[in-house]
Amino acid sequence: MIKRPDYPPRDTALVMRMVLIALIPGIVAMTVFFGPGVLFNLTAAVLTAIVSEALCLRLRQRELKPRLIDLSAVLTGVLIALALPQAAPWWLVIAASAASVILGKHLYGGLGQNPVNPAMLGYALMLISAPVAMTTLWINPLTTPDFLTAWSAFLGHSNDAVTGATTLDLYKTEFRALTATEASRNPLFTQAHLGFIYGYEWVALAYLAGGLWLIYQRVITWHTPVGLLTTLLVISAFFSFDPDTATPVWVHLIAGAGIFAAFFILTDPVSGATSPKGRLWFAIGVGILTYLIRTHGQYPDAIAFAVLLMNFAAPMIDHYTRPRIMGREASVKGPGGQS
Amino acid sequence: MAEYQIRRCDRQLEGGIHPETHKDLSTTEPCVFVDDPKRLVFPIHFSGGGPGEALVAVGDTVSQGTPIIKCQSGIIHVASRAGTVIDITDHAITHPSANQSASIIIEPSGLKEQSYLDPLVWPFDADTLRDRAIEAGILGLGGAGFPSFKKWSDGTQTLIINAAECEPYLTADDTLMRIDTHSMIRGACMLSRTLDIKTIVIGIEDNKPEALEAIEDALKESRSDCFFDIVLLDTKYPSGSERHLVWLTLGIEVPTGSRSVELGVIVHNPGTLAALSRAIDGKPITDRIVTLTGEALKAPKNVIAPIGTPINHLIEATDTSPSSLTSITVGGPMMGYAVTEFTAGITKTTNCLLARDVEIPPESPCIRCGACATVCPIRLQPQQMVFALKGGSLDLAVHEGLGDCIECAACNAVCPSHIPLAEWFRLGRFEARDQANEQRLASEARERFEARNARLERIAQEQEAKRAARKAKTADALEKARKAREQTA
Repeated sequence: MIKRPDYPPRDTALVMRMVLIALIPGIVAMTVFFGPGVLFNLTAAVLTAIVSEALCLRLRQRELKPRLIDLSAVLTGVLIALALPQAAPWWLVIAASAASVILGKHLYGGLGQNPVNPAMLGYALMLISAPVAMTTLWINPLTTPDFLTAWSAFLGHSNDAVTGATTLDLYKTEFRALTATEASRNPLFTQAHLGFIYGYEWVALAYLAGGLWLIYQRVITWHTPVGLLTTLLVISAFFSFDPDTATPVWVHLIAGAGIFAAFFILTDPVSGATSPKGRLWFAIGVGILTYLIRTHGQYPDAIAFAVLLMNFAAPMIDHYTRPRIMGREASVKGPGGQS
Repeated sequence: MAEYQIRRCDRQLEGGIHPETHKDLSTTEPCVFVDDPKRLVFPIHFSGGGPGEALVAVGDTVSQGTPIIKCQSGIIHVASRAGTVIDITDHAITHPSANQSASIIIEPSGLKEQSYLDPLVWPFDADTLRDRAIEAGILGLGGAGFPSFKKWSDGTQTLIINAAECEPYLTADDTLMRIDTHSMIRGACMLSRTLDIKTIVIGIEDNKPEALEAIEDALKESRSDCFFDIVLLDTKYPSGSERHLVWLTLGIEVPTGSRSVELGVIVHNPGTLAALSRAIDGKPITDRIVTLTGEALKAPKNVIAPIGTPINHLIEATDTSPSSLTSITVGGPMMGYAVTEFTAGITKTTNCLLARDVEIPPESPCIRCGACATVCPIRLQPQQMVFALKGGSLDLAVHEGLGDCIECAACNAVCPSHIPLAEWFRLGRFEARDQANEQRLASEARERFEARNARLERIAQEQEAKRAARKAKTADALEKARKAREQTA
């Protein structure tokens, strides 16, 4: 058996750094298939996040240094950047990142106090405020843009030749009229190296690798990813009895933010449920909501809304999933205390 | 030869941590006696066994073994060396929650005068043994200082010797088991014979091969008819917690709110049993093994020191200048507490003095990562409890299980935000006990009040009845008199 590392004394900065390291394979894969726009987004979002963090700390009259070096703002910036469309214009990136840090985090009291996932709050806010930019500026991995095209897209001149809707969105719009066989003739599927979806499959695999490393390092537990991915798998497999109308299982799993969210978004400890069983239920809840919103909602992907909704349910989940304390007959359920 | 078996524990401690043990630091040097210090300090209320009263006055001459303090629980503490009581005054003491308290100061004379008890001769009954333990001042020497005789109830089936010593740095028990094995085994056997215990379990972590060997040798020589079940535990903190040791060795989960004693299991530290063996021979506790360790000490080792020896005397015994240290930890790095006044004397529960420079990083906000919950050996959610306590909601923390916390501080060791969780819990538990006490006092007062009301009412009723009876009697008499008058008329 592999000897996993014990729980060594770590500090918050190290935990954040490990998450950032685990994101590197995914970032590389995304840059390869979706072009340099990914890196532009990352740079802009991280810088904005740091500036917003510093600004808020100054306004709140807190010490700047300990919060800036713990990298929590950097991580928020990276997460929101990876969630945005790869051909997003600069203002969208900056607005999303600033909203994440300021509205998602500092409005509630900063690190450790936010009730919802900051990155998903920023994402959802942009999706509502700038729906066109958020749904049409996704890069088609078959037409990876070069540096200049990506740069002009970043400056706000998008090129319709390389952008479009996401694969998940395609199933909702264009593929609706097609049979499953017709849809599978799309070059995205026929040219895929691994037989799933061109580009997306590698990105998903890269995020999976980073996520597994985090589990191995005991930064996150298996409950969250297993909960989300299994739920998505089971529900989409159940409804795929009619392949002509249903979105295939693997599209649900790897085309959207599924893997990325399972390991890096839902695992935000601050806004999620906290006990192991609670994390499982939290992830299952996100999985169910994601499927429902993806299938019956207006939006192409649904992780952000599902996460936000479940964030509000997290305290309740915590109340009902306390483990049984040693020496007690049953676990303590329900809320307690007078305040 | 006593019958025994050695087996590996087949249960796994849930949670827990593997801290660096640093045990070699103090076990490479042999255990030695320290020279008698210039003065000995005995806190009257904090020597273990509850608040006490002084049995000696200033100017009294005492021998080694003269009773000097009698505690509320009956436990008697004796002078650890012959000498003169030079003062009874407020003095710095070694205690987690008090810095100063009334203490008896004895200046050792260097004479070998001893006043011991008469040896007990077998057969004796449990009551005799209890009395002896009281007179000899036998307390749990593992750190809690619980009066041992209180655990010795009839119907006890199993005695567990807690030889786990899972705290890092600590080697006092390990040392005792190596050099005083026979006393420990004899104490365990005597106790078992008196209480009719059939099985003696020794729970020992697998990082003490020398002690294990010594125990085996001692058992081969022993003529006891007890069965010794030696359980090798994985080295993991806190396997030596009483609850966990009972579960690891016997598979019994002690229910919340009860003690293992109620389930017929008593747990004793090796030192306690060795002291009991000597007490049967008439010698009360006057000395104990103390681990002097930590990177800040020049010559760490285990020593046998008289109870009451000031801390600075022991620091000097390791070739270290006390002025080079600002604070010293009494106990291990996990559950110990800091003492800054080195004139305080060691007590019967002082198993270790730990000196090291640790930089405590600044605390940052909790990110609810749950590392603390993963290592919590009793499956609490420390992150939720500390959230409640910081928010001032003691009730909520108690609801989350604060009362079950064993204060092992495994959570502290893994917290990435360096939150002193265990300190919060210690404080919270203290407050909760206070609150419960207050509630108890309030309900007692209410009961008294209600009883008084009832009594007053009863008295009033009785008086009323008496009055009515008297009235009736008077009326009766009047009636009779009137009738008599009428008749005569």
